[in-house]
Amino acid sequence: MTIRKILVRTPVWLLLLSMSVLLLFPIVVALLGSFKTNLELTTGATLFPAEWQFKNYVQAWNQADFSAFTFNSMFVAVFVTVGTLLVASMAAYAVDRVAFKGKKLFILLQSFTLFISIGAVVLRPQFDLMVSIGLQKSLWGVIIILISAHATAFFMVVGFFRGIPRELDEAALIDGCNFYSIFWRIILPLLRPALAVVALFTFRGAWNEYILPLVFSLTRPDLQTLPVGLASLRYGAGAAVENQLMLAGACISILPLLLVYIFANRSFMQVTAGSVKG
Amino acid sequence: MRNNRIGAYLFSFPSLFLTLVFGIYPIIWALRYMFFDYQGFGTPRFIGLDNFARVARDTEFWHSVWNTFIYAGGKLVITLPLSLILAVILNQKLRGRHLFRAIFFMPTIFSASVMAIVFYIVFNSYNGILNQYLMKLNIVSAPIDWLGASFAMLTTIIIAAWGAIGNYMLLFLAGLQSIPDDIYEAASLDGVNPVQRLWYITIPMLGPVLQMIIMLAITVSLKGYESIMVLTEGGPFGKTEVMYLYLYKLFFPLTTTGTSVQNIGYGSAVGFTTAVIVGLVTWIYFWVSKKLNSIY
Repeated sequence: MTIRKILVRTPVWLLLLSMSVLLLFPIVVALLGSFKTNLELTTGATLFPAEWQFKNYVQAWNQADFSAFTFNSMFVAVFVTVGTLLVASMAAYAVDRVAFKGKKLFILLQSFTLFISIGAVVLRPQFDLMVSIGLQKSLWGVIIILISAHATAFFMVVGFFRGIPRELDEAALIDGCNFYSIFWRIILPLLRPALAVVALFTFRGAWNEYILPLVFSLTRPDLQTLPVGLASLRYGAGAAVENQLMLAGACISILPLLLVYIFANRSFMQVTAGSVKG
Repeated sequence: MRNNRIGAYLFSFPSLFLTLVFGIYPIIWALRYMFFDYQGFGTPRFIGLDNFARVARDTEFWHSVWNTFIYAGGKLVITLPLSLILAVILNQKLRGRHLFRAIFFMPTIFSASVMAIVFYIVFNSYNGILNQYLMKLNIVSAPIDWLGASFAMLTTIIIAAWGAIGNYMLLFLAGLQSIPDDIYEAASLDGVNPVQRLWYITIPMLGPVLQMIIMLAITVSLKGYESIMVLTEGGPFGKTEVMYLYLYKLFFPLTTTGTSVQNIGYGSAVGFTTAVIVGLVTWIYFWVSKKLNSIY
């Protein structure tokens, strides 16, 4: 019995360990590589840096403009998260708690936007719309368009609403609350843990977004976010490719998410798992 | 309260307004321009179905469609079996399973474009980190041209699988948790081995969840192009050009490779065609898997 158990267990552990190594390899390469010199990166074949080059980060932050990229990314991600939470939870409140005409159509519309994709085509009319209201020259255009893609967040919040009993609304109504104060004083505080999960999901999406900020910053390099600024180093005009700066830049984008993930990985995973149970 | 219609309309208005303006209007916009000859300046000229005739003749486009199928197919062949096996293993009461779940899911939280930069440094043909290790360990004698014409597609598939395995593992795990334990207990009394258990119990019991996960995987992998755009821009020689990247270039020509010209009317027609292709593939999958289900 024990020999059989070992025979079954060994390949299982080998698989788990080799998958861990493969999946962690690029992240470890980025983290450790960001402290190496360019020469070490291109010829070294070592895991750890010979001498920890903290100046890579100083250089990326100051000379390669990563301070501006980080500020732009943070600006976009924070406002998209706040906006999405507000828009999605308000709509979810109306849909879950009130019977109104056109409700079915509204839900249909939201699921339609989830499933139909014509790719980059939509970027052009979206950009033109922003030109017509003069927002193409700021990150607000990017923020508003990202908030408009809130269907996933909407369905997540609707799911969480099911956990809040309607009796609470009615009790609050008797105590003198109205439709609006019930939302602010009863629903939102109760939804807080659930909204934190949605916020995490939305923040990650906006922080990692590449195509939309790329299109908005094509003629305005000062609007570049971290992924856009970093990718532009890949095809940097004329300049020698400086791998250590690219890795330091990548780590500036990766590290905040990694830190949050270490403490809240259950919340991250809850979002994905929830989409199956539906 | 229960029928505060005004409140309900007020609260759903921001969502409705944003969805209509930035979600629906662009689609209608494209549905109109696909019948026009329009390069982004001057007056659009109505040309009927000419754009679609051009799509049919556009070998570069159909080549990118073919590449998309290779890319998506390769990604699914690697990702789905691996993530299912990992999910089955980590669904057992195994020491450290939460840690392994967290490790396997970690790649999915990072930006595809940022990781594409890291992978560029890893897979770089001339002095990439992977080649350094392979040569140091004497596995290869000369550097492998990972981003060259013969390996670039494989490399992009590996990168896509790297970013997706954890996600599908978690989806499978959620599905597995709905299979009752007593079935497995009964099976172990009957002396079923792990492979039989996976094939005859787990996969059939996953049923509709499995079907849904595969459908999601198909549509997501047909649409992906971000990391390819950063890593190879579709090159070399269009070897990694997928259809959504080809579409992007029709609207926003890439300055570095600079082969395509902005063409809005034609691009809209291509966009419509790609959406139809994705819809068709999804529908065929749905139809086939239904047939297979009824055979069971």
